[in-house]
Amino acid sequence: MMDVGRHPRIELMTFSEVESVTGYVGNFQVTVRKKARYVDASECTACAECSKVCPVAVPDEYQQGFSSRKAIYLPFPQAVPSAYILNMENCLGNNPIACGKCAEVCEKKCINYDDQDELVKIEVGVIITATGMQVYDPTEYDEYGYTRYENVITSMEFERLICAGGPTEGHFIRPSDRRAPQTIGFIQCVGSRSRDGRGNPYCSNICCMNTVKDTLLLCDHYPGIEAKVFYMDIRAFGKGFEDLYMRSKEEGVRYIRGIPGEVIENPDTRNLTLTVENTTTGRLEKHELEMIVLSQGVIPRQDGDSIRKLLTLSTTSDGFIMESHPKLKPVDAPTRGIYLAGCVESPKDVKDSVTQASAAAARASILLNAGKTKVEAITSQIDTDKCNYCGICAKVCPYNAILAPDRKAEKAPIIIQAACAGCGACAAECPQDAITMRHFTDEQMMAQIEAILEVEPHKHLLTFACNWCSYAGGDDAGTARLQYPTTCRLIRTMCSGRVDEKFVWHAFRLGAPIVLVSGCHFSDCHYISAVRWTQKRMDRMWNKLDKLGIRPERLRLEWISAAEGQKFAKVMREIEDAVKAVTTEEIEFTMKVLAEEEAKNKAKKEKRKAKAAAEVTA
Amino acid sequence: MAPRETRFKCLHCGHEYTGTYDPDNVTERTCPKCRSNSVRRLPDVKPTEKK
Ligand SMILES: [Zn+2]
Repeated sequence: MMDVGRHPRIELMTFSEVESVTGYVGNFQVTVRKKARYVDASECTACAECSKVCPVAVPDEYQQGFSSRKAIYLPFPQAVPSAYILNMENCLGNNPIACGKCAEVCEKKCINYDDQDELVKIEVGVIITATGMQVYDPTEYDEYGYTRYENVITSMEFERLICAGGPTEGHFIRPSDRRAPQTIGFIQCVGSRSRDGRGNPYCSNICCMNTVKDTLLLCDHYPGIEAKVFYMDIRAFGKGFEDLYMRSKEEGVRYIRGIPGEVIENPDTRNLTLTVENTTTGRLEKHELEMIVLSQGVIPRQDGDSIRKLLTLSTTSDGFIMESHPKLKPVDAPTRGIYLAGCVESPKDVKDSVTQASAAAARASILLNAGKTKVEAITSQIDTDKCNYCGICAKVCPYNAILAPDRKAEKAPIIIQAACAGCGACAAECPQDAITMRHFTDEQMMAQIEAILEVEPHKHLLTFACNWCSYAGGDDAGTARLQYPTTCRLIRTMCSGRVDEKFVWHAFRLGAPIVLVSGCHFSDCHYISAVRWTQKRMDRMWNKLDKLGIRPERLRLEWISAAEGQKFAKVMREIEDAVKAVTTEEIEFTMKVLAEEEAKNKAKKEKRKAKAAAEVTA
Repeated sequence: MAPRETRFKCLHCGHEYTGTYDPDNVTERTCPKCRSNSVRRLPDVKPTEKK
């Protein structure tokens, strides 16, 4: 951090918040709110005289509330820049004016009560998102008594208590009587790997090794201390981690496999009795401990939604930001020119965070050094003559790659080619058919549908499969030699969001018994949120089928991931039965109804055109 | 528009159920009975107007 602060080519904007991000790869415009800190950071020498005279004391967030700080304070000892900050809310409280004591004693005269927030606009080529995570609040695990018993603490609180820079200067004491405990228990997976509706279902990655490290610190500082760790699995998979775990065991730390069911405090001694089923022996055990540490999990930042919206990112089902590709592009965000580092993407330890940050910096520098970037081959194009300026395309684009049209000025939307990722949702949603997807044009798609349904259409299952998931799921089924009907015919699209309503109607008009649209699961969508438009469109089509007297069951939707070869084969087998159940009469009726509907629409269009032409001549 | 209670119908097994639908945050649907994703949101029943 110090190096970053001193680096001549790095501008560090602390106590600042990103307000807006516009533009695209290579040309981002970022507005940053530099919050008023009421202390001139360039002049402050961190002499601490202001803090000494400040009469307001509030709990110190950095010390987890174990000690207090003043309204004017240094956020933490190694803060960069090493300058004080005045929290105006703390300072004023209910008073209309500040007491002014800090300004009186400040020799450098760097305190300014009239300081204001400042909006700074900067232009950047790439953005690295490293906004971190939050720790899980264990209060909902009431059986551990975190809110009731003083001697039950979290692993973050433990960290402050054992730290030399902490409130006790590294003397590890229990809060109830400020005495060093002789017995201590650690409960693992608090808020992680949970399936009971509390906490999160994922593994938080760092807690096992954090506890192993904590036990070693305790054994080192307090020889003879009795430490017990209650766990379901110890996940020590990193380099040197198993050795560390073994060392902890050799130091005498007892690892007991079992997650405690209850913690009860003895009101006289303030000691804690923990009940656990030791799953190795199968016995119910009671352990009396002087202190308990809850190894809390890691959760996505609770204000992460604003970051996600600012940068047009998406999240995986666990709430962390989704990467462009889990294996091949693990530090790239789906939006080009944006990279991810650290726990914003998933829970990870320092080493993994540094590795990812280095990779993100390297990825960013490739782009910056090149000074130019290749646009996707598959992007959309607007035919301005056909456009009626409705603006739907700009609304559906998950990348904000389309600049909205201006109806009054008759200005068509503009597609930023560098920002377009080629999902095709705009082309599918455009009611005027004014958008063409390069390499996936309407003509190309229609030709494929016609070719598939040219011979014995009633026997074929026409399937639209997205490139990244469903089509790959089909590949997975193939390589695993899973059996599925030979009558299924796949049409590849980049995203299920590209499947235009007219492709489906065309297939039914040509005699398709069933049409299947398949794509990525919502959490896997490679185009941020394009898949949501598929779902909306399906609802529209099902309603229309119903209205026309056609069974909506003949249009199917399945989300199949690249790893779900089994599901792919199962879906194909199941739908094959549905294909056989569609009668010739049903198909003929559908073809007739849709042909009539098409003719009607065509006539309406012609009439509108003629009317418009007549108005012009008049 | 605010999230609202809606009837859903699985087009694979025919199972009907009630769930929440939020037009601003469309989520993945899975039939609780057969796990199919062909789950149709049934149109809202509008009160019939008196003539
Ligand atoms: Zn079902």
